[in-house]
Amino acid sequence: MNDKKLVLIVDDDPDLVESVAMKLESQSFRVAKAYDGVEAMDQIKKERPALIILDVMMPRKNGYELCAELKSSDDYKDIVVLLLTAVADAVTTTNYTHWDGKNTLADDYIPKPINLEKLMGIVKDYLG
Amino acid sequence: MTETETDIHTEYNPYKSKILVVDDEARIRDACKIVLEGCGYDVCLAVNGVDGLQRIQEEHYDIILLDLMMPELSGFDVLAQVKSLHPDTVVIVITGYATLEHSVDAMKKGAFDFIPKPFTPEHLRVTVAKAIEYTNALRDIADSRSRMRTMINRLSDGVMCTNQDNRVVLANPTFLRMIGCPAASVKGRDIHTFIDNAVLLDMIHQSLETPESEFAERTQEITVSGANNLSGETVLSLRCSPFRDRSGRNLGVITVVHDITTLKQMDRMKSEFVSTVSHEIRSPMNSVLMQLQVLLDGLAGDITEKQREILTRASDKIESLARMASELLDLARIESGLISQEREKVDMLEIIKDQAAFHLPGATAKSVEIVLEVPPCLPPVLANRRNMEEVLSNLITNAVKYSPDGGRITISASSGTEGLSIQIQDTGIGISAEDKDKIFQRFYRVKNDKTRYITGTGLGLAIVRSILEAHGGRVEVKSDPGKGSTFSVFLPLLNAA
Repeated sequence: MNDKKLVLIVDDDPDLVESVAMKLESQSFRVAKAYDGVEAMDQIKKERPALIILDVMMPRKNGYELCAELKSSDDYKDIVVLLLTAVADAVTTTNYTHWDGKNTLADDYIPKPINLEKLMGIVKDYLG
Repeated sequence: MTETETDIHTEYNPYKSKILVVDDEARIRDACKIVLEGCGYDVCLAVNGVDGLQRIQEEHYDIILLDLMMPELSGFDVLAQVKSLHPDTVVIVITGYATLEHSVDAMKKGAFDFIPKPFTPEHLRVTVAKAIEYTNALRDIADSRSRMRTMINRLSDGVMCTNQDNRVVLANPTFLRMIGCPAASVKGRDIHTFIDNAVLLDMIHQSLETPESEFAERTQEITVSGANNLSGETVLSLRCSPFRDRSGRNLGVITVVHDITTLKQMDRMKSEFVSTVSHEIRSPMNSVLMQLQVLLDGLAGDITEKQREILTRASDKIESLARMASELLDLARIESGLISQEREKVDMLEIIKDQAAFHLPGATAKSVEIVLEVPPCLPPVLANRRNMEEVLSNLITNAVKYSPDGGRITISASSGTEGLSIQIQDTGIGISAEDKDKIFQRFYRVKNDKTRYITGTGLGLAIVRSILEAHGGRVEVKSDPGKGSTFSVFLPLLNAA
């Protein structure tokens, strides 16, 4: 069953990771899980995912940093990165949404609360 | 000077005008003393020119009555000395042989008026009163100049006034410090010789070119380094307005600079706090929502109809809780004044149309009609766009929510001397007189049999009011219970600012 594409879910909330994982698995994706940016990098090195659902605010290494790292690496820049932002659009002035005004280079943004159906739609769009 | 200020000045002015009479004729001196003291002036006498000169050197007099023909030192010599020692002292010449020649000569040398001998007490009183009026006016000007200079120099805001040629009329020390100019005075200098900030220079130029028909205060924020002798950056808020003469011609520009560094720092800290709190509250709620979604999707096994019903209701509750959390944070942000800082020229007509279009699907679902009765254009207001969208959105949402199926919402707008007004009229359930006073309070919700199934947080109208007050506007409501309500929004116009 190795033709199933691998999606890595990174969020410090295990309940969220589990819910998204269950949904993805029900749609015939393989799922890897990580709970912070450092763990995520270890996972990526072990087995390269096709797409990463990446939370922004996390301990150790946040989503922006990991995203920048991946997008500046020749080996990993092709991996699709979907950034999860819990901060509603109302708080547009904080550095959590704009990362001090720098371009995050993420492929797409998923606002929290996540609508699982919409998330699946976006994932399928990217992974064909 | 305003009328009130003049009144206060006259009423409480304890000042007694001081007059010196210099005449070698004792009869004249004594007569003057009696008449003038009778008028309430403080009168001193000098027996000749030398005596007079000595007194003038020792003390300042408002008015000097000066005999022209005296032995030793003549009136003309005294006059010349007075003019060089006390240019603001008013000299009235007393001349024994009232020839036009002498009087004209004295006037040319700086005398204010002349009295020919012999004169009547009335003549003396009138002439002196006229001179007193003149010195009082001079003193008032000097006083208000000094008052203004002290005021401007003591201001914690930087102030600069420039003329039509972009030369400095006045600039207070705070201004010079803020823009990092080391000079102690820049009076008379061209602004380009000591200001290098392009934004500020551009604002001054544009203000100077503002046509009369347009009152526009220009505001900008700039970041400069090293001002205030502080390390790091200083954020300055700049405001430029043209000032005009009676015929409306631009005479120059007043620039006011306010240091908003601390405000900005607090702003940033608050934003970060709000964002952290919002993350901490929303994250768990979001993951609960997802868990419920997974259960509802049957991903964790089949569920019964009853379980589905309960899970759906739990889901709805959490969702409204999440919404309330963001509204609370919005309100906190507005009340701390964070939002109103960023303002721009806003066309409310555009926002009305956008919001009406945005809420149309929701209204249509309830068979509620939204009608726009707006003029083809509206004058702009100075506001925060997001705030204005929120005001309209909250009021339209309410109108839809509290309208029965088949209702009608009319949005109208107009502008007048009072400013811009926008009405959102519905044919809903209306608001009782008792509730009308309370609906703008936080968390207040009208509770009766008609509102039982309408959900909300009770924050929408509180947010509307906070926003409008922060913009110098207001919101009012008129209602006929059972027939509908009209919410009116008033905003000041940009031009009237």
